[in-house]
Amino acid sequence: MYKNALCALPIMLAMASPALADPGQTPDEVLQALIDRSDSAYLTQSEQNLMMMQDEPSYWVIEQGEILFKEPRGPKKASLEQCDFGKGPGVLEGAYVEMPRYFADTGKVMDLESRLMHCMKTLQGFTDEDKAIKDKHGNTDLVKIQTFIAAKSNGMAWNPPMDHPLEKAMRGAGEEFFYRRAGVSDFACSTCHGATGKRIRASVLPNSSIPDEWTKAVSWPAFRVGHEAVRGSQHRVSECIWQMRQAEIVYGSEAAIAIIAYWTDKARGQPAILPDLKR
Amino acid sequence: MFNKTRIAALLAATLLPGVPASADKPTSAAQVDYTKMTPTELTEYLIFEANGFKLDQPAQEGKTARERMTQDELQKTCSALRGKPADAATAQKVAELARDSHVYPEGGIKLGDWKKGRGLAREGAGFRLGPKVDDNTKKLGGNCYACHQMDPKEITFGTIGPSLSGFGKLRGNTPETQKYVYDVVYNAHAYFPCTNMPRFGANGFLNKDQITDVMAYLLDPESPVNL
Repeated sequence: MYKNALCALPIMLAMASPALADPGQTPDEVLQALIDRSDSAYLTQSEQNLMMMQDEPSYWVIEQGEILFKEPRGPKKASLEQCDFGKGPGVLEGAYVEMPRYFADTGKVMDLESRLMHCMKTLQGFTDEDKAIKDKHGNTDLVKIQTFIAAKSNGMAWNPPMDHPLEKAMRGAGEEFFYRRAGVSDFACSTCHGATGKRIRASVLPNSSIPDEWTKAVSWPAFRVGHEAVRGSQHRVSECIWQMRQAEIVYGSEAAIAIIAYWTDKARGQPAILPDLKR
Repeated sequence: MFNKTRIAALLAATLLPGVPASADKPTSAAQVDYTKMTPTELTEYLIFEANGFKLDQPAQEGKTARERMTQDELQKTCSALRGKPADAATAQKVAELARDSHVYPEGGIKLGDWKKGRGLAREGAGFRLGPKVDDNTKKLGGNCYACHQMDPKEITFGTIGPSLSGFGKLRGNTPETQKYVYDVVYNAHAYFPCTNMPRFGANGFLNKDQITDVMAYLLDPESPVNL
């Protein structure tokens, strides 16, 4: 029954791509394939979530994002269709699994969220003060558009480029940060993500060194059941660091991009689950 | 480290053609050459110089977020292991740092109230900064259950640390055990160098009374941990 409802969604038809082993795979099928070939307690921890994934609320967010993406908006009345996410203007298929990456026009390594904001400023004329950019998390334009773009990489292998020296430098800083203990709890990312099958309370933690479970951990945007909202990578970074009792990280900062560059590299070669559903 | 990084960054800036060396405050890859820095230098730069974190935010302990992000000797030493177990030299150095940190209650170590200890073991709030800043005066706990099993009847317990179910029953409520538990909660690195466990006493996360309450939850024969 869920399946039938899902197949009616236009997004299913839009996700065809040469990089997909099975172009028709839905995010829950991508996850199921990972479960079938691994014995990760992290991947299988919530039977309820696995069932809910077949009817993910984020599918509607994708559709809202597509409308926002194609609509002429902002002071310049332009759509985002000429935005270059790394594979050329307007190319969305597989763009997200190859981010963060170096962009020559800004001279920086950018993740999806910072690149999206860049295009909203340069192409559409929005500023940091406009609601479209200012509102980062929740039921926002930024979340909707990034979910639409990310879904175009569902099932494809994470493959962030490491050719430019800055891409390597940012990944290296992200790795350093991952192990960097600080604050009143002495926590680092590695405190929770350095071992297999460990739990915080009832939650099984993903190990960053096990790529086929780590791919789910870094598959954002995802619908967070506990938040009743779709969340992106920057939100996850911020939330982890908040729990670590470190200082508040700045959304879209290079510190956050470095962390995302490292965590994406650790999932290299594994299929992205986009959008995912998490507890 | 902080100053060294800044100097390295400024030096790197001078090496980039077309970028004036007098650039007041280089803040991104466009102005300074990140590729000339070591990963450690770049990480420190991204944290402290490139608007990576809201460093001026006041922290609950009366300092600022900047000081939260600044590593002490033990944090630096243990981070350098990159998740691997401590080698003998590191272990010795860290254990010494930890032993030097222990401060005991006046009048000696006595068990507190296990019921208060249970509350502290369950509570996960305290010391978190933005965007949702914890009010430590309203809610503060050691969050022991995040990582340890304690009361065998509690089903949601973490497994990053060892199970402590029946701890007092197994170890006995002797003065030696009491000192050991106090030491471990205060600064566990004295026994387990570079452990994941926070230094609840040494970092001022819990006060001495709260530590003795947690001790009671573990050691008091009446505590559900030992029933």
